[in-house]
Amino acid sequence: MSDQTGLTLTLDGASVSFTKGESIFQVAERHGKEIPTLCYDDRLDAFGACRLCIVEVEGARAPVASCTTKAEPGMRVTTRSGALEMHRRVLLELVVSENREVDVDELSGYASQELTTLVDRYDARTGRFEGRISGTSRPDDPNPFILRDYANCISCYRCVRVCAEQEGDYAISIMNRGFDTQITTEFEGHLKESACTFCGQCVQTCPTGALGDIKALRHKAIEKPVEKTRSICPYCGVGCAVDIMTKGDQIVGIQPAMDGPANEGALCVKGQFAFDFVHHPDRLKTPFVRNDHGQLVPTTWEVALDKAAAGLLAAVNEHGRHSLYAVASGRAPNEAGYVMQKFVRAGLGTSYIDNCSRA
Amino acid sequence: MTQTTDELIADALLQPAPLLPLLHRLHERDGYLSEEALRAVSKGLRTPLADLFGTVTFYHHFSREAGGLDALRVCTGPICRLNGAEQLVDALEGSTGMACSGRCDEPIPVLRGGQTLVGLRADALELRETPLPPAPPQGIEECVFAHIRDDDRKQLAGYRRTGGYQALEQAVTSMTPEALLDLIDASGLTGRGGAGFPTGRKWRAVRDASGGPKTVVCNADEGEPGCFKDRALMDHDPHGVLEGMALACIATGASRAFLYLRYEYPETEHVLLRAIEDAEAAGILGDDVFGSGQTVHLHLRRGAGAYICGEETSLLNSLEGKHPFPRNRPPYPVTHGFEGTPTAVNNVETLSSVAPIVLHGAEWYRGLGLGDHAGTKVISLSGDIERPGNYEVPMGLPLRTLLFEWAGGGRKGHEIQAVTMAGLSGGFLAGDDLDVTLDEPSIRSKRSFLGAGGIMVFDETRDMVDVAHSAMEFFAHESCGKCFPCRIGTQRLTERLAGSAGPTEPGAWLDEVADINRTMKETSACGLGHAAPLIAESLVRYFPAAVQNHIAHSSRSTGLDT
Ligand SMILES: Cc1cc2nc3c(=O)[nH]c(=O)nc-3n(C[C@H](O)[C@H](O)[C@H](O)COP(=O)(O)O)c2cc1C
Ligand code: SF4
Ligand code: SF4
Ligand code: SF4
Ligand code: FES
Repeated sequence: MSDQTGLTLTLDGASVSFTKGESIFQVAERHGKEIPTLCYDDRLDAFGACRLCIVEVEGARAPVASCTTKAEPGMRVTTRSGALEMHRRVLLELVVSENREVDVDELSGYASQELTTLVDRYDARTGRFEGRISGTSRPDDPNPFILRDYANCISCYRCVRVCAEQEGDYAISIMNRGFDTQITTEFEGHLKESACTFCGQCVQTCPTGALGDIKALRHKAIEKPVEKTRSICPYCGVGCAVDIMTKGDQIVGIQPAMDGPANEGALCVKGQFAFDFVHHPDRLKTPFVRNDHGQLVPTTWEVALDKAAAGLLAAVNEHGRHSLYAVASGRAPNEAGYVMQKFVRAGLGTSYIDNCSRA
Repeated sequence: MTQTTDELIADALLQPAPLLPLLHRLHERDGYLSEEALRAVSKGLRTPLADLFGTVTFYHHFSREAGGLDALRVCTGPICRLNGAEQLVDALEGSTGMACSGRCDEPIPVLRGGQTLVGLRADALELRETPLPPAPPQGIEECVFAHIRDDDRKQLAGYRRTGGYQALEQAVTSMTPEALLDLIDASGLTGRGGAGFPTGRKWRAVRDASGGPKTVVCNADEGEPGCFKDRALMDHDPHGVLEGMALACIATGASRAFLYLRYEYPETEHVLLRAIEDAEAAGILGDDVFGSGQTVHLHLRRGAGAYICGEETSLLNSLEGKHPFPRNRPPYPVTHGFEGTPTAVNNVETLSSVAPIVLHGAEWYRGLGLGDHAGTKVISLSGDIERPGNYEVPMGLPLRTLLFEWAGGGRKGHEIQAVTMAGLSGGFLAGDDLDVTLDEPSIRSKRSFLGAGGIMVFDETRDMVDVAHSAMEFFAHESCGKCFPCRIGTQRLTERLAGSAGPTEPGAWLDEVADINRTMKETSACGLGHAAPLIAESLVRYFPAAVQNHIAHSSRSTGLDT
């Protein structure tokens, strides 16, 4: 069987079709092969660092990295063999040996369980290859969002690449070389003094939790499962898809939806980290109205709505419907935003409605 | 008058591949790379500051502390260690060690700013000319060294006296590029930088590649420990190198070429710049090569201390001002090289062979080798040997002939225990395996390779585990850090050879080392990671008793910084 392009190769003995430009990894993944990776993020240019994705190609001297090797017609590719699995296990044992710990809380970030999962799949917690651990953590960085725990870093450079390729910020880079490689900002400073916009992309692509979501990790101790609810970030008009993470009734964090059509896993600092207002103790729980002395005093919904309606009507009657302008809060639920615009457009008969991120 | 940073940036932007020269000029002006200078460079070259900072830290010799440029650097490479380099570091205040700096046939080199001193003691350091290659035995014909000992060979006039630049003139006036390519193909010339790829095929691929402009790069990074042949060629026969570069340009259709020179050869930079200037002034290089209307512009670029920048794709990234990680291949440089253009990267020795081949013919060159082997190979010989130096041998010469007949054998009263091949990259040969001949098939059959032709000799007084440890330390230090097997593997092998971490039970130790070796060889992303395990592998193969002894006697404490 072949598609209209007519390109085929042999994958684990079966003839499969592919399109020009696809990597062996992409072809294999489409055909349900579970090739392990650590440096791969399908949104980024293939990099070829971890070498876990090696496959055998007939005629090649040694295994090739499937992520960086383009599929060619007639190739005969093997994705699993005794030798490949042996190399993968050794590679994982080596990686385990360079980190302070392998198990990190799932609240650390979207991809944070990748290393643990692979290490378990390959039964690689053998304690072999012990020696110095790599990476120096930066507990001195006072930023409230991103944990920089590089003693758990495996130098996959996904963070650096996502910051450059996806976010376009180039805030972080690779310092030194070899085993002394270290993720850094310019002049080894803190993220706040760098070009970082705290979008959190690096946190979400980190496969080890070396970069962690500090705000989510505050809720590590709550002993309830994490549930994810798909939603759309309310802050602006882009419409980034997010998964809101909750433990019981507590919102514990936000993760970008990698399959969000508008954002493909990207968020900005607000969508990513600005959710504390939901459970904030200062949050208003009853309506307030001004008394005769101009002071705000708590009241009931009934009184408040009557007062608001009277004020709006008075303004419309005196100055016309276009004298009103409404601004919906980005912190209100999307549903409230919808009702708000409906009220302004249909109820008041004006299109003067905007959102706080633009107004 | 010293130029301002902005003036230097403006100057640099007029040239291709501006980052390295700009950084060098700031480094030399200020004695280090200040934060202020890097901020200005980032702005001027529109390169993100974090990237620029990270890239600067990749290079060993860029200093970011005031006075850093002039701090002494002492070669602590494998041969200099035998000569007491570590004691010299202790004796010279404020000095630090550096990887083999390509003078293994001399006393210990010490780099001071733009000068190289040599000596064995702190109070006896001197400037010295690069040694000329020892004369070959009677009846041996050379190719690249044929005229290197002639008076005045360094100067343009001296070079021309014995046929210099005639090959280039011939190529641009009476040959087609096609004929030149056919000639190089027929000569059997293969790369002398390590990988041994047929030069004619490489050039033809560049010529045939679509897109342009095309580029030639002369790889003069010579970072392999125990290799110092390219320095001899450039210092004593610079025009021979330039002529080879120009011929490569004519053959491939390139009008520009870069020479990427390792940082540790500061004097060579002056020799080459002078030679380029003279050849341009004489109308030999430049816009109108020998009146043919063809253009060949040569640009000199200096590295900043990174062995991996000798790997051709890492070199290209370095030239482009990018982080010098090797690139993934394919695509290869012949189609996607410098700034994505078709590029021929060739070693100094390879290029130096081209003019003699054009002058004397393909058959002549082939005939210089023994048996089926074409041509010659320069071997840099150092260590426990009576007459160290560069020897241009016929391909296929028995190793023992070189060691004992040409170079006088081991030190008096001592026996040669082992030699390295390909500098350090080929690991050790010892015992009966010293019976190889100097050509790839013979040496590869012993699980090693000839590569760039550095051979270091160790006699029975040397502790081979210690030699292997310092070799592995070199690879760990120079691993770029891109791929997992090499980044972690070189570190773990170093620790095991130091005895600072790893199993105490011999079986487990050997298992771990064998597993790392195998996975590095098969899965690393570039040649450094493929080659580094050969040191550990050959140590275990030839010196099992010494290894057992090492495992039994090393004291372990994990976490040691080794
Ligand atoms: C780690 C590493 C270091 C290398 N260093 C050098 C070098 O210093 N000089 C050199 O000519 N080739 C070096 N090479 C080989 C180059 O990648 C390339 O093959 C060579 O420059 C091609 O030129 P040739 O075909 O003339 O040999 C190195 C390769 C590796 C893997
Ligand atoms: S938070 Fe965003 S901008 Fe900051 S380093 Fe991470 S990816 Fe780059
Ligand atoms: S911090 Fe995470 S994403 Fe970045 S290199 Fe380290 S392990 Fe990879
Ligand atoms: S093998 Fe070593 S030097 Fe080569 S890419 Fe991998 S880490 Fe870098
Ligand atoms: S996924 Fe291919 S090397 Fe990491």
